[in-house]
Amino acid sequence: MAEHDKEDALIRRLHESLDAHPDDASLHLEMGIFLWEKGKAKETKENAAEHFLISAKLNPENGDAFKFLGHYYHCVSGNAQRALKCYQRAVTLNPNDSDSGEALCNLLDEGGKENLEVAICREASEKSPKAFWAFRRLGYLQVYQMKWTEAVQSLQHALRGYPTCADLWEALGLAYQRLGRFTAAIKSYGRALELDNTRVFALVESGNIFLTLGTFEQGVDQFRQALEISPNCVSAHYGLAFGLLGFAKNCINRGAYRWGASLLKEASQFARACACIVKNISCIWTLHADIQLAYAKCFPWIDEIQELESDVEAFKTSILSWKKTCYFAARDARVSYQRALHLAPWQANIYADIAVTSDLICSLDNDHKQDSNAWQLSEKMSMGALLLESDNYEFWVALGYVADHISLKQHALIRGLQLNVSLAISWGYLGKLYRKMGEKLLARQVFDRARSIDPGLALPWASMSAECYKRELAPAEAFESCLRAVQIMPLVEFQIGLTQLALYTGHLLSSQVFGAIQQAVQRSPQYPESHNLNGLVFEARKDYHSAATSYRLARHAMNTSSCSVPNSQIRDVSMNLARALAKAGNAVEALQECEHLKKEGALDVEGLQVYTFSLWQLGENDMVLSVARSLAASLSSMEKTCVATSICFICRLLYSLRGLDAVTTMIVKMPKELFQSAKVSFILSAIHALDGHNDHLGSVVSSSQSFLTSHEEIARMHFLVVLGKLVKNGSECCLGIQSGVMHLRKALHMFPNSNLLRNLLGYLLLSCREINNCHTAMRCCKSDPPDLPNQGGLKLASDIHGAGSISCYAIGKNNSKLTFPTCAKQYHTSPKSIRYLQKCFRQKPWNQNARYLLVLNYLQRAREENFPHHLCVIINRLIFVALSNELYCKEEEYQQFQLLLCASEISLQCGDQITCITHAKKAAEIALPDDYIFFARLLLCRVYAMKGDLLNLQKEYAKCLELRTDCHIGWVCLKQLESRYQLQISSNAIDLNFEHSVKEGGNLWKMWMAVYNLVKGLLSLQNGDLLSAEELVSQACLTVNSESCLYLCHGAICMELGRQGYGSLFFSRAAKSLAKVHEHSMIPLPLAGLLLAQAEGSLGSKENWVRQLGFEWHSWPPEQRPAELFFQMHLLARQSKVGSNTQSSERSFKSSQRWVLQAIHTNPSCMRYWKVLLELTGCE
Amino acid sequence: MKLAPLKSVDNAHDDSVWAVTWIPATSSRSSLLLTGSLDETVRLWRSDDLVPDRTNTGHCLGVASVAAHPLGSIAASSSLDSFVRVFNVDSNATIATLEAPPSEVWQLKFDPKGSILAVAGGSSASVKLWDTSTWELVATLSIPRPEGPKPTDRSSSKKFVLSVAWSPDGKRITCGSMDGTLSVFDVARAKFLHHLEGHHMPVRSLAYSPYDPRLLFTASDDAHVHMYDADGGNLVSSMSGHASWVLCVDVSPDGAAIATGSSDKTVRLWDLNMRAPVQTMSNHTDQVWGVAFRPPGGSNVRVGRLASVSDDKSIALYDYT
Repeated sequence: MAEHDKEDALIRRLHESLDAHPDDASLHLEMGIFLWEKGKAKETKENAAEHFLISAKLNPENGDAFKFLGHYYHCVSGNAQRALKCYQRAVTLNPNDSDSGEALCNLLDEGGKENLEVAICREASEKSPKAFWAFRRLGYLQVYQMKWTEAVQSLQHALRGYPTCADLWEALGLAYQRLGRFTAAIKSYGRALELDNTRVFALVESGNIFLTLGTFEQGVDQFRQALEISPNCVSAHYGLAFGLLGFAKNCINRGAYRWGASLLKEASQFARACACIVKNISCIWTLHADIQLAYAKCFPWIDEIQELESDVEAFKTSILSWKKTCYFAARDARVSYQRALHLAPWQANIYADIAVTSDLICSLDNDHKQDSNAWQLSEKMSMGALLLESDNYEFWVALGYVADHISLKQHALIRGLQLNVSLAISWGYLGKLYRKMGEKLLARQVFDRARSIDPGLALPWASMSAECYKRELAPAEAFESCLRAVQIMPLVEFQIGLTQLALYTGHLLSSQVFGAIQQAVQRSPQYPESHNLNGLVFEARKDYHSAATSYRLARHAMNTSSCSVPNSQIRDVSMNLARALAKAGNAVEALQECEHLKKEGALDVEGLQVYTFSLWQLGENDMVLSVARSLAASLSSMEKTCVATSICFICRLLYSLRGLDAVTTMIVKMPKELFQSAKVSFILSAIHALDGHNDHLGSVVSSSQSFLTSHEEIARMHFLVVLGKLVKNGSECCLGIQSGVMHLRKALHMFPNSNLLRNLLGYLLLSCREINNCHTAMRCCKSDPPDLPNQGGLKLASDIHGAGSISCYAIGKNNSKLTFPTCAKQYHTSPKSIRYLQKCFRQKPWNQNARYLLVLNYLQRAREENFPHHLCVIINRLIFVALSNELYCKEEEYQQFQLLLCASEISLQCGDQITCITHAKKAAEIALPDDYIFFARLLLCRVYAMKGDLLNLQKEYAKCLELRTDCHIGWVCLKQLESRYQLQISSNAIDLNFEHSVKEGGNLWKMWMAVYNLVKGLLSLQNGDLLSAEELVSQACLTVNSESCLYLCHGAICMELGRQGYGSLFFSRAAKSLAKVHEHSMIPLPLAGLLLAQAEGSLGSKENWVRQLGFEWHSWPPEQRPAELFFQMHLLARQSKVGSNTQSSERSFKSSQRWVLQAIHTNPSCMRYWKVLLELTGCE
Repeated sequence: MKLAPLKSVDNAHDDSVWAVTWIPATSSRSSLLLTGSLDETVRLWRSDDLVPDRTNTGHCLGVASVAAHPLGSIAASSSLDSFVRVFNVDSNATIATLEAPPSEVWQLKFDPKGSILAVAGGSSASVKLWDTSTWELVATLSIPRPEGPKPTDRSSSKKFVLSVAWSPDGKRITCGSMDGTLSVFDVARAKFLHHLEGHHMPVRSLAYSPYDPRLLFTASDDAHVHMYDADGGNLVSSMSGHASWVLCVDVSPDGAAIATGSSDKTVRLWDLNMRAPVQTMSNHTDQVWGVAFRPPGGSNVRVGRLASVSDDKSIALYDYT
């Protein structure tokens, strides 16, 4: 109500002002607008129009009046002519007036006055850059008139005014697309879709652009979206099907048949849906046909091969159903092409398509009878294409492709080339034709030309491959060419050819070949050859079960094939099958195959071998021998390569059945000419080596060894010879390692880079009980190459290193801070070897040996560092993994034993006695020689001793004595235990045992005797029997006169004796021994100098005392100097003060009091130092 | 005038049925229906129950056209591979195999007297006339090339001939081409007379009125049916009503109506007096490739019959009164 009042007031006010100023144009306009907007009735509008009219008359420069007048004439009075004029006037006055402009253009559009419309828009747009409506209109009109370049400008300008107008973006996209600016077009369409995502046109057109650009996946996405919005959109269906076809073709060209086929299936559905919506468009049918044709060409044969293996009928059905699928797809394609042709019979390419499809159908159709005189359908249809467009070279090529007659083929191809000389495919086919005709030279020239025009054509590469192979010049080159052909085009023929070439060139393991033959099987399951080759590839990859399956399928294919297969091929496949079965361990079936072949009389050398092998596997020894005899009988008539394999085979067979002597006699009987090969030489040498001290074969072996050619072979032969020497020069129970080492040294001089020989040498050096050999062993082994294949039984450098570093008895190699190294070689390898073993273990985590050695190395280190906690944890974890992971087989039981001992030792050191006992007991239960079990018992002794369980200790001790060991250190330890816990049963049981083991121990017996004496001496020392201790240790010094530690020990004991007043004789003995310490140790041993100084001092030689103290000072690392040394230095300082000796060394500046203070600071518990200090302070 | 559905056979062929014609009755039997299909067979059906009489095989590709001799004893069928097989209707014995260069055979029509078989010559841009007694080629009526053809423009230089029709007096032949032009020939002199203008898309079917040798009806992809004065050379009337291509046309024996089949899946009956469709049959589910009125003769002279065939593999029979 209030509003109404307001309006009334307004109208009253307007009337009043109008009455006051009847000539005011703006007032009239205001009045008019008020009335126009308010009134619905015609009268009110007319009333408003009067006001507009007056306003326009009064002020003809005001566009608004004319605009409303235009509205009035257009909407109310229906006078289009007048409306036009008014609008025109309004636009002229104000070009930015979009209402009038749009209304004007709409009017003109209704009247069909397109040119006028363009002119008005252009005028407005030229007058004002802000007349966006005009630009928009102009842009649309230009798009409509297909003036794309101008349209782009207008639309771009219009978009500044209406940036969110999806129509404008769409129109701009179209203009760009027509101009060929695809990226810009895609962006414009994308913008339109951002503003409004239901724009089917933009989706479809951008999809089309993607297809044009060859990015089929993106295109397919666009079309799918379009179809979601508009499920019946024909162009979206078409585009989707087309995109999927393109996508599938890409897949197929890469060899992904299954993927391609699934895409094509989908594509076919869409194409069919499209054809259902619109029946009478031929290109839709063509598309459908294209899709079906591609499907027929790519549909792969995939079936459960295992099920088909045993069932010929199932295989046959499977092949037939596969063929049928292809055939029906091709038929379907042809039907669709016919529909297309029926709709548009003037389109030449459809004829060509039908021709090609018919050709495919013929090749797929089993029952098809070829009548060579009849006009072939495919030929005829391609002629049809040519009749319509005789100057299309592609149709000529198509004719050349489908034609059966050679002359027609040649003619067609040449005509194609006349029309387009750079038609590579035509050159290619021509080359193929010439090859078939036997015109080699011509063919090669033609192929060369084809290749030079288009190196991306597969056919010429294939031809080149065939050419290379024919000439037998370079099979590798042939393989390369064929590989390229296969990569360019995954065609069955190429793939089979590639695999055959791989067979000759030894590329069967290559994964490219594997892929190729797998694809070939998918596309040509009816060819026996593809299965056969597939089997060979499997066999090369050591997948014998699959290989056997493939061979079986090949045989099925032969049985079901309509054309006759040559007997030789059937035989080959059977042979392959027998071999694969034998390799797969299926001896029974292999035997069946062989017997079957034997019945046919087709058992060749290889067959006989497989036959014998299968018999042997089944344990039919009599049969084996008779067959082997027949094999041996045929040796003389064999080829050279066959002879070698056969001889090797027979030798090994005989050895396993009848033993060494039978083989030796056979070899002696055989004519020597047969042994002219490296392979045989190895076998002979091996047998010769096994033959022990007999030398029946010496001459044969040495003559055959001259056939070794390559360095590698000779090195391997040396390896074998060394093994032989080990056997021959060894005694009953131990090998002649020394002679092996000698030989290896010489061999290594000839082949310094043979890792094989190096590792063997290292192994042998480690095996012989010789001091310091371990260091030599480690030095002679280089590290393994990282890609070393796993060779069973051969030692690796990592093993040698790992074993070598723990085999050195000396400790202190790691960290000279902890103790002083006594090993003469000073070989600081342990941290290195731990790291090296870790590296090996990381490279091959399945390498148990490396882990085992790593555990031992860590244990060694832990012992050196006195079993720090963190190391114990590491070792425990490693052992836990090692023990839990593997079930140890017989050979590895020793490793398990050792690991258990390690675990037990660690538990012992950590104080976990229960675990220690369990581990040790477990170790003791392993079935190993007593020699080893001894140590488990020894460990038990130790743990019981620790527990104080004397009863059990006694028991275990008795067991140790019972078990006995050859290992000296065992007895030494036992001796220690015995004397400490007074376990002695019989007085000298251990002494006797030890002496017994020392006698057998070889070169090291002296060393061990010395050690034993030393230990005994130390034990006496513990018992306080200094004199006997001195005797024993001096005996040890006599036995081994180069060991500084012994001398040090002796010296120390003598000093003690001297001190206790047994006479100065001992001082001189001590001085002698201690002087020898200096001679023999490579680093100044601490304490030796001090003792010597004291000895010399006691003997009265003050000068020597001073000198020796100086030595002693220097032999300590600064931070480790003991308190006693400082104390001694105080004595020295006193002396020098007394003797006013001005030595320039730093230590002389210190006062004797300060030396004493330092000594007390280092060891405050020694009362002697305190006393001296008191004395000193008392003096001053 | 109206059509009443009588009988329809679904799956009459294994695939789209593309051609239909009636074989006139002979003394020994009544008239038969002859159909040709994409499934490469030609089938004979007994009216009115559409009982299959025989299936003729032998074509390598789909059958595009069938034609029957006016005496009813022989018939011909042509396939996409350009073979024309002429056979005895009753025995199926092959009388002749006419081989043309590929793409040079499309529609077939016997002349009203039965002495000549006219073959629309497809890409040869001509109509070939075969003598029906010797089965030799007697004449080739070529469409003259347009004046001053541009050598590059191939489509204009060769007109693919899709359809052919004889005037009822046998003096004229008209053929329709893919670009919509119609060419009228004088048979006796084997001479081109003139073009008939008006269509701009392929003309797939044409038919003369049985009573008026000048009156020609044409069916074209431009969705129109035209009526021409063939001798005068001008367009009499243009009839619209189909929503898509008109694929076939036939004139009723009484000359009062025409029937057309179209891609819009309908069959229409047109009253020529009103020049408008009077009835639309929508019983087919796919485009209708052929319609054929039964020619007079035989026992039931008065009874009119119309047959239509379609892409939906079916044949339909209507009663025309």
